Amino acid sequence: MPKTRVVITGAGVISSLAHNRQDLLAALLNRACGVRAMPEWADTLPPDTVAAPVTLDQDAVMKIDRRFRRSMGPAALFATLAAAQAVAESGLSEDILGSGRAGCAVSSTMGSASSIMESCSLLLQGRQDYISAQQFFKSAAHTAAFNVANAMGLRGVQLSPCSACASSLQAIGVAYEQILLGRQDVMLAGGSDEVTPSVTLTFQQLFAQAENKENRPPDQISRPFDVARTGLVCGEGAGIVVLESLEHAVSRGARILAEVTGYATMSSGEHISQSDQRAIGRCMTAALADADLRPEDVDLVSAHATGTRQGDAEEAAALRDLFGANTPVSSLKGHLGHTLAASGAIELVAVLEMLAQNIIVGTKNLTAAGPDCAGLDHVQANRPASIGTFVKNSFAFGGVSAVLVGKAFA
Amino acid sequence: MQPEDIIAAVNAVFVEQFEIDPADLLPEKEIFRDLGLDSLDIVDMMVGLQRTFGISLRQNEELRQIVTLGDLHAFFLKLVEENPDLAAKLQKK
Repeated sequence: MPKTRVVITGAGVISSLAHNRQDLLAALLNRACGVRAMPEWADTLPPDTVAAPVTLDQDAVMKIDRRFRRSMGPAALFATLAAAQAVAESGLSEDILGSGRAGCAVSSTMGSASSIMESCSLLLQGRQDYISAQQFFKSAAHTAAFNVANAMGLRGVQLSPCSACASSLQAIGVAYEQILLGRQDVMLAGGSDEVTPSVTLTFQQLFAQAENKENRPPDQISRPFDVARTGLVCGEGAGIVVLESLEHAVSRGARILAEVTGYATMSSGEHISQSDQRAIGRCMTAALADADLRPEDVDLVSAHATGTRQGDAEEAAALRDLFGANTPVSSLKGHLGHTLAASGAIELVAVLEMLAQNIIVGTKNLTAAGPDCAGLDHVQANRPASIGTFVKNSFAFGGVSAVLVGKAFA
Repeated sequence: MQPEDIIAAVNAVFVEQFEIDPADLLPEKEIFRDLGLDSLDIVDMMVGLQRTFGISLRQNEELRQIVTLGDLHAFFLKLVEENPDLAAKLQKK
């Protein structure tokens, strides 16, 4: 039986640089950077700590009905605003959204970290009586999923695969599988995350956060694959795509942005934090096999590359083994920082716009590839290119790899 | 503290937490049916009133019988009358 074809018919994004896909690509092409100093964290973290936070448009937030908004912490708000863009672009009717054949898979690392901190703070002050009825709903691990489902009126499946920084790509992968299995016609899929002192501290404690001993300006600190990289910079935001069976999309005359053709996710079986080129290689190979493609068919790898010394080297080694120096490789984390659980989805949304505008965004702050990241076709300056097929990588603590393969629709 | 100050303090919870237009906050309005609160909002109404009046209300049986906003006003007017120190707390806020 031929495989069901799954297409993308809408894509929304909330990021530190822009609040829609087209503006995001324009900012990326302009080499803009969302990373800034965080004086508001001076009480808890070293004064030179940087991050890439989102500034929300409060008018857009207040347009969300209070009935839905009341249960949203930042993670759910970002996801809902991105989902609203994706649904509007896709032109899905209320009837389709509420048919039971439309569901969602939306993830975050740990729900709303800031809402969890709020609850803990009240508990530690002995103010249990001040804790809102909404605190659980803002904090819960699946807060982004159920808030999107309710705000969009979805009555189909609701999933929230939780795998730290691979979460949103896993969400898109599992949504793709729901449609392949014939269980759903439409899935809103992606992820969302918040940047907080506690999340940033986690990476600082593990020496994975960028150190900046050279006192570079904030926009030069996140340096994927670069010889001078010292670690990642945490960011936040959300990316949501509308996945749909080709048959369903065609039947309602939807505009198709791209097609998802392959997906794989797996464990390293080795270590909870050390990246592993063999595990990354196995996952990319499996995703390409799922898409029935060879490495030489790929026109762009949108790398996970967060700017850590070890993680980038392992990914580069896996890419070198599979693609050699023949396939363009780009990372967006120099511009956006590492948006954690949201990164796979946000970067996929950016890739969709690269497809539409026939250009690859060059990796910001990649001045000279580290010797351990060499031997690849690193895209440094923005490069005009017709992108037929792309690979999107996401890797996470816990030894999780997720790889999605897509292509321009034809 | 005048009765209208107590009523204003109660109403402020509905305006700030539930974004209800002050013009709709009439005593005869039923809290569920007319003002649109649901069971989760009632918990937050209680949290908001606890913060405003500085007392614990969770185990208060009388409060559970309240239907209209006017009932709620009457509850707090009586409470403040019986506990003058509450009015002092409210004035400090």
